[in-house]
Amino acid sequence: MSWARIVIAFVRRDFLAESSYRLSFALGALATLANLAVFYFIGRLFGAALAPELEPYGQDYFTYVFTALAFFGYIGTGAGSYAGRLRQEQMQGTLEAALSTPLGTVPFLAALTAWNFLFATFELGIYALAGALVFKLDFAAANWAAAALVFALSAGCFAALGILSSCFVMLFKRGNPVAWVLNNFEGLLGGVYFPVAVLPAWLLPVSALLPVTYAVRAFQSAVLRGAGLTEIKGDLLALAAFDIVLIPASVWLFGLAVRRARRAGTLGEY
Amino acid sequence: MRIEARGLVKTFPAPPFSGGSPLRALDGVSLEAGPGVTGLEGPNGSGKTTLFKTLAGILEADGGAVLADGAPAAPARLRELAAYCPANPRSFYFRLSPAENLRFFGALAGLPAGLALKKAAALAGRLGLARADLDRRFDRLSEGNMQKVSLVRAFSRGAPLLLLDEPFRGLDAEACRGLQDLIAETGRSSAVLVSSHSPELLREAAVRIIRLERGRTGGTP
Repeated sequence: MSWARIVIAFVRRDFLAESSYRLSFALGALATLANLAVFYFIGRLFGAALAPELEPYGQDYFTYVFTALAFFGYIGTGAGSYAGRLRQEQMQGTLEAALSTPLGTVPFLAALTAWNFLFATFELGIYALAGALVFKLDFAAANWAAAALVFALSAGCFAALGILSSCFVMLFKRGNPVAWVLNNFEGLLGGVYFPVAVLPAWLLPVSALLPVTYAVRAFQSAVLRGAGLTEIKGDLLALAAFDIVLIPASVWLFGLAVRRARRAGTLGEY
Repeated sequence: MRIEARGLVKTFPAPPFSGGSPLRALDGVSLEAGPGVTGLEGPNGSGKTTLFKTLAGILEADGGAVLADGAPAAPARLRELAAYCPANPRSFYFRLSPAENLRFFGALAGLPAGLALKKAAALAGRLGLARADLDRRFDRLSEGNMQKVSLVRAFSRGAPLLLLDEPFRGLDAEACRGLQDLIAETGRSSAVLVSSHSPELLREAAVRIIRLERGRTGGTP
């Protein structure tokens, strides 16, 4: 069975379903812009002066948070959308129907959130246009090759976290500790809204346990300052280590979760 | 093909901390079916749906074995061999048309889009489902027409094992006749298992009928 055909089928299905809710689609795009405006005005309030914690990035607060939000918005898609999509399938009663076909676990996971990643790419485009045309941000120093590598390593890592999160949805339907951690602590402790250097010293080791900390720091360094691979080597190695452990582990655990649901007879429950 | 169940056992555990007790839905079911059409009858809760889902590879049995053409078949293999039509047709994307739903589920079963739509159109006609209904949004169909779409999904796979759980539910007389013809035609090349609470419809569909009671096969009535 062709993976491409499966992915295209899922994307087509999700596009048709999502575009049938036109108001929701438009409001989603507006929410992205409103979110950006909040940080723009916070940036204006505090002026363009550099806070000491922002010095390593060489940019003002708004530029920092803009870049981090655009990046986190994309890679966070992997972390959030697996559980959301799976839950939606459970509620619609379509999960059991989809998993009663010869479709394997890996192609299912590859296709399940393909639409979310496509939409996140569209949102990233909106961010890029708004950054260049509305907010006149300057990314002349960016090292895009290094940023792309950080992007790829981070996307894999966050997708794995999303798959882990969806294991809980498969087994418990509601009540998802991985999503709880991702939703409540990734932004706070990972340097999305402010550099982690702002955090108290006792929280820094906790921050160091989260992949988002390495991802945001490396991406910011590459985009805002043009940092090269050597300079962000530590962060890249940390992300690669997370990928090596989390990607196979999450896929394996998801397979186990599906098998357990088949044994317990809960595949069709919500 | 020939499908064989040997001493199938399936127990559903009670939800944790519910205070309930496990439910033994299949208690050593053994049967042989196919090629041809085999009927399955039994009261509510006798284990018919659990048996269908186990033969379709959707559920994993706790004990016993399923053999396809004499070879042990694991659930993954059964999902390749079997097409299952559930008793409840509400397993579709309600915001999409039946045609789009059938195209999607066809892709999961390995059917190219063009072939899935061609089969859908042909089968819909046999069951009295209007062409316009294939393009209407699924949630605007009547229950009977939803059932027809569910049947089209199962038949269009052309699987060697076809499992039809209460397929006559909600169908009008014309659709029932069309379905009986389709079952008979498919039974010439595939193993077809059909369940129904209507003895008349079941006897018309299948020469051989197996009775299931309290998770056990009770022989041919």
